[in-house]
Amino acid sequence: MELEGKRALVTGAAQGLGHAVATLLLERGAHVMIADLNAEAADAAASRLGDRARAVACDVTRAADVQAAVAAAVEAFGGLDIVVNNAGIEIGKPLPEITDEEFAQLMGVNVTGVFYGIKYTVGELAKTRGCIVNMASVAGLDGVPLLGAYCASKAAVLRLTETASRELRDLGIRVNAVCPSFIDTEMVERLVAPFEAATGANFGDLTAQAQGRLGTPAEVAETVAFLVSADAGFITGAAYVLDNALTASVL
Amino acid sequence: MSELLKGKVAVVTGAAKGLGAAIAERFRAEGATVIGADLHPVGDGVACDVREESQVEGLVAETVSRHGRLDVMVACAGVATVKPIVQMPLEEWRAVLSVDLDGVFLCTKHAGAAMAAAGGGSIINIASIKAFGGSPATGHYGAAKAGVVSLTKTAAMELRSFGVRVNAICPGWIGTDMVNDRKGELEAVLGVSFDDYIAHVQGRLGEPHEVAGLAVFLAGERSRFSSGGAYVVDGGARASLV
Repeated sequence: MELEGKRALVTGAAQGLGHAVATLLLERGAHVMIADLNAEAADAAASRLGDRARAVACDVTRAADVQAAVAAAVEAFGGLDIVVNNAGIEIGKPLPEITDEEFAQLMGVNVTGVFYGIKYTVGELAKTRGCIVNMASVAGLDGVPLLGAYCASKAAVLRLTETASRELRDLGIRVNAVCPSFIDTEMVERLVAPFEAATGANFGDLTAQAQGRLGTPAEVAETVAFLVSADAGFITGAAYVLDNALTASVL
Repeated sequence: MSELLKGKVAVVTGAAKGLGAAIAERFRAEGATVIGADLHPVGDGVACDVREESQVEGLVAETVSRHGRLDVMVACAGVATVKPIVQMPLEEWRAVLSVDLDGVFLCTKHAGAAMAAAGGGSIINIASIKAFGGSPATGHYGAAKAGVVSLTKTAAMELRSFGVRVNAICPGWIGTDMVNDRKGELEAVLGVSFDDYIAHVQGRLGEPHEVAGLAVFLAGERSRFSSGGAYVVDGGARASLV
């Protein structure tokens, strides 16, 4: 199998995109540490996904938690080859309505979490010449009404990805980002009502017009699996867009 | 190999050497039937001058007629010379644009039409990271590649409802004849050692098979939600300002 023997840490892996990524990496032969804020859900996912899956509770805004998740993966699997910094949250509100606490919390998870997911995994990844994939978004490329805080955080993820790719190049560590558009997850479901209330537009119509259909978590997982594979050996510092031509339009 | 392209019929232009040859070889290893087209074909390849619409149209029609389908088009044929813009004769500018931009347009047009009629397919246009910025001493090449990324996005939008995906691959410096044969000329223009330049911007030269791996991903079902993308494979060259 393509990822036979590889050892991965995936944050936010108890549900949504992270769960799909963990599932596919396991299918391709990897060992996966499922890290999630929700310890119970992480445990349940690991039991469900089989022998090569393990779980650890992890709040990515806490350095000690991220360090502990890395240590847990190394203890369980003997090392670390792949890190997927996927944990993220959204806010669907106009900028003036976002509270200071909400903004700080989002930046904590989406930006500080990725920063820690680079900073505290480099030591292990340098030993294996491993790689990192950060979950960004097409919202990191352009603005989106109601998603101002989310957009800013994902743009930050792209800049972290680019900088890390150059700083870590000589250690043999590749760092890339994936930029999905609207995917069929609970996160996107939560955005439908606020979006329709604010714009009067039908979310399904907008999605159909802009990107044909909703993407699936499994499709995002395929792009992540490609970027961590041997075939992506010369790819680093890149943002791989996955949007069925949504951002091909400037309109 | 995992037979990711089993049963697929693919046309690769510029297949006689360099990136095109590496892509054709890897596609075959993944189970595809590959029609390798080139201005100067080798082996069982077929002749095609991508500057000539009748030849590109014929290449697509012949493929569909002989193999019953066309699933993947890789528009890889490309040329380059080394000359600053103020010294470049218009004929030289046009010679590069006619292969690198007109050729990709014709491949996208005719493969897109055939694939739309058949209900789907994947078109992969070989662009360059030169599409995203200036391209000292290769201004014609850079302009053509920027055009390739733009036409890729337009075609992706126009063909989405027909199930046809259109993506661009943007390599950095890859160790092909196109690059290796021009090291001296590039050094003269850049004023630095080519090897030092490469080591700084992208660590090392990429290898053709490293571009082929991305082409396999974009050709197959694993990338089924990817269209209109410009996918960089450059050792991180584009990611840093300095």
